[in-house]
Amino acid sequence: MNYEQLAKKVVQRAVKKGAKQAEAYLEVGRQSSVRVREGQIEDLTEATSKGLGIRVIVKDRLGFAYTSDFTPAGLERVVDLAVQLAEAAAPNKLNGLPGARDLGKRGDTGILFDPKVANLPGDWKINAALEAERAGRAQDTRVVTFDSVSAGDFVAEVYLASSEGASGGYSGTYVYLVAVPVASQDGQLQTGYWLDYKRFLDDLESPESIGREATKRAVRMLGAKPVKTQQVPVVFDPLVAASFVGNLSQAANGNAVYQQSSVLAPHLGKRLAGKHVTLVDDGLLPRGLATAPFDGEGVPTRRTPILDEGVLSGFLYDAFTARKAKARTTGNASRGYSALPGIGTTNLYLEKGTKTPEELIREVPQGLYVTALLGHGADPVSGDMSCGANGLWIENGELTHPVQEVTVAGHLLQMLKDVDAVGSDLQFRGGSVGAPTVRFRQLTVSGA
Amino acid sequence: MPRALASSRRARPAQLAPPAARQAAASPLLPPGLLERLLAEAMGRGADFAEVYVERTSTTAVVLEEQRIRSAQVGLVQGVGVRVIAGAKVGYAYSDDWDEAALLRAARTAAMIAQGGGSERAYPVKRVPVPSHYRVGQPLEDVAVARKTALLTRADKASRAFDSRIQQVNASYVDQTRRIAVANTTGRFSEDTQDQSRMSVHVVALGKNGERRTGMYGSGGRVSFSYWDGVTPESVAEEAARQAIATLGAVDCVAGPQTVVLAPGWSGILLHEAVGHGLEADFIRKGTSLFAGKLGEKVASELVTVIDDGTVSSARGSINIDDEGVPGERKVLIENGVLKGYLYDQLNAKLMNQRSTGSGRRESFKSLPLPRMTNTFLAPGDHAPEDILKEVKRGLYCATFGGGQVDISNGNFVFEVSEAYQIEDGKLGRPVKNAILIGVGPEALKNISRVGCDPMPDPGMGICVKDGQMLPVGVGLPTVRIDNVTVGGTKVG
Repeated sequence: MNYEQLAKKVVQRAVKKGAKQAEAYLEVGRQSSVRVREGQIEDLTEATSKGLGIRVIVKDRLGFAYTSDFTPAGLERVVDLAVQLAEAAAPNKLNGLPGARDLGKRGDTGILFDPKVANLPGDWKINAALEAERAGRAQDTRVVTFDSVSAGDFVAEVYLASSEGASGGYSGTYVYLVAVPVASQDGQLQTGYWLDYKRFLDDLESPESIGREATKRAVRMLGAKPVKTQQVPVVFDPLVAASFVGNLSQAANGNAVYQQSSVLAPHLGKRLAGKHVTLVDDGLLPRGLATAPFDGEGVPTRRTPILDEGVLSGFLYDAFTARKAKARTTGNASRGYSALPGIGTTNLYLEKGTKTPEELIREVPQGLYVTALLGHGADPVSGDMSCGANGLWIENGELTHPVQEVTVAGHLLQMLKDVDAVGSDLQFRGGSVGAPTVRFRQLTVSGA
Repeated sequence: MPRALASSRRARPAQLAPPAARQAAASPLLPPGLLERLLAEAMGRGADFAEVYVERTSTTAVVLEEQRIRSAQVGLVQGVGVRVIAGAKVGYAYSDDWDEAALLRAARTAAMIAQGGGSERAYPVKRVPVPSHYRVGQPLEDVAVARKTALLTRADKASRAFDSRIQQVNASYVDQTRRIAVANTTGRFSEDTQDQSRMSVHVVALGKNGERRTGMYGSGGRVSFSYWDGVTPESVAEEAARQAIATLGAVDCVAGPQTVVLAPGWSGILLHEAVGHGLEADFIRKGTSLFAGKLGEKVASELVTVIDDGTVSSARGSINIDDEGVPGERKVLIENGVLKGYLYDQLNAKLMNQRSTGSGRRESFKSLPLPRMTNTFLAPGDHAPEDILKEVKRGLYCATFGGGQVDISNGNFVFEVSEAYQIEDGKLGRPVKNAILIGVGPEALKNISRVGCDPMPDPGMGICVKDGQMLPVGVGLPTVRIDNVTVGGTKVG
């Protein structure tokens, strides 16, 4: 089926049915995943799926409907539903699709599709997962079992058409490998996980290395106990730092800013962190997981610095919020077919520094190296942050014993000020948010 | 890691009731003849078991912000999943294309997991009656969208009228009419319609010096639309506003161990995280939960009796049948502190020589079923809630809660307290901000020293996440005192 044509047809039908503006967003995908355990396949899943969302504007009124039923009757029904919903909605002059000025010229994404992933034989995933499990088990005898080891791939296609001239499509590939071993000693169980998730097979970390690293992370937590409540320097490993960065980006959401519901709202243009702190959202990052020619409403993606050498330089917008806030869309409309566009991030990352993670730790006389967080993180409205934490205690610049059942707490704005070093080890590990090791001058650790 | 927002005597048999009129009247999602052809195809390579899962879910969602309905949307997602089990191996394939050829292809793909040869055997199915724990009148999908948007407009007005310091109101309403059919090679074929309706209101209050506090409250269940005549949008909105206003001027939370008293209701998240997930049979079978191998052992204070009950009338987590076609049940998981049972789906039950407790649930046809909770609550004790508070000299009163999360293996759990007060000499003092509780499941349960006589279910907005699959669940707790809990905070006291 020619899905780009289908999207256009759906738009035409909506216009014929009375929509002043209409936009169709289609997703088509296939995926396959395998989990192994104790040297055997645990489960294998294969699937194809698709869906279409249609957004219409009728007399300043918005309607939206979606379906996974692509039969002619199903598609007619979804268009009619969207138009009916619009007719019943309240008018809002701000409603509208991105126009020619916003649609503009698309940047260069580089390649997004890896034929090696698209044609990955099923037994590659089985063997890779088995290999990761074997290597993880061989690494340390204290690994008693695995919660799971899995591998999988996706091929996803996106198509979009609108009455305002937006049109296009792209397809991309994704491949991942995850190992979650459980280690045991003296009746204590500890889990660790390690994973990699990439567009290109050649970028993916080797199964052996995934398994071994996962085991190291589980085993080093054995014997973990709380420490006393105190204020100390705290180092976030790249996975944990990435979740902090993700949290920060919620506060950079243009809609939250417009609503004065973001701790960052009053600080545009102000210095919030040292010169070594640069936070960027980049929809055109070469080989990035979230790299795409256009966002969820057809607007070209781009590079948007949020913190530029420590100065709060911008917020993220979709077309609707931009219109409301009298700003320009930054190409950050994020969505699936079953939802209206909302503001999201693309490839979001903290730029790397110069020192290695070992150096960052070596400079800490006494503190906490955090390797996992529990909880939602910071509240983007108040900026307060309080999370459960696991990690390793730092004594005289060395990692010593494992720590659990503690919390770390602070405030986003103070934490930004307190970022006193950023590591050279930037990585995108579990998704499209990346970070290097980050050190905070001081946080409150709550424990025994 | 499992995360929430949000038996036993496994002896008690599920109550069987005649099928609801709606179920009998509705035409099947897929004709039984086609279900049988799919099962035969799925068994084509000599597997032990096959199942066809059919789902058709329509969703309505309305969002209000800045005093206007931002959007109203309606959607339909439908698909068929075929699961084949051979030994401990599972093959799964799903399709959102209902064309017979596409469905047969999915069945053949799932069958690939089995290695043997097939037979010409037929797999007839027979519709079985299902119990009825929710009686929905008019399907939610048939209620006009305008009536749903009106709820939010009323909620917005009520929040703003509550206090002039309420600056922002974001409200949402979501309902689903989810029809499922499950047929398997044991011949069992059952269908259910699982409606759910949920409203939530999120407000921001502006205090002195630019201080911003949020309040969040919601309600819902497996209910008909008339539910909102009783639980009014005004009552939901005023509670959200009350929380935000109450926490203005909150002081920094003191970090370190404290005595805490939990208000009844939503605080049931504690149980959900501290024990519920750790009792799910997949973690038990794999030996990855710290509760594995502890049946019959004392794992909590003897004041603690924990129940998971899928049969509570109209509750958000209730199920007439689970997503494997097994009726929902009431299960005592911990009785007077002693571990009595786990939560089983069919696969883990079979591998562990047990029977399913009706706990096999999945987000949609795109996912495999996992053992999951339904409505999890703590049985009430003898203590008067006023007395529990009165006895505490210094501590923290936790009034409302955000979400929680647990690490199954080491048992570390957190839960976020969105409204808390200092307790001084048995009385509530100043509001405290940014509090979070952390503990290890069994240790926290052993430290429960008072259980109130005031059982209370949550208001009906819980969402549980496991393996990325989101499901509606319920929780409940009477007033409870826990000694020596580590409280996270910014202030070193």
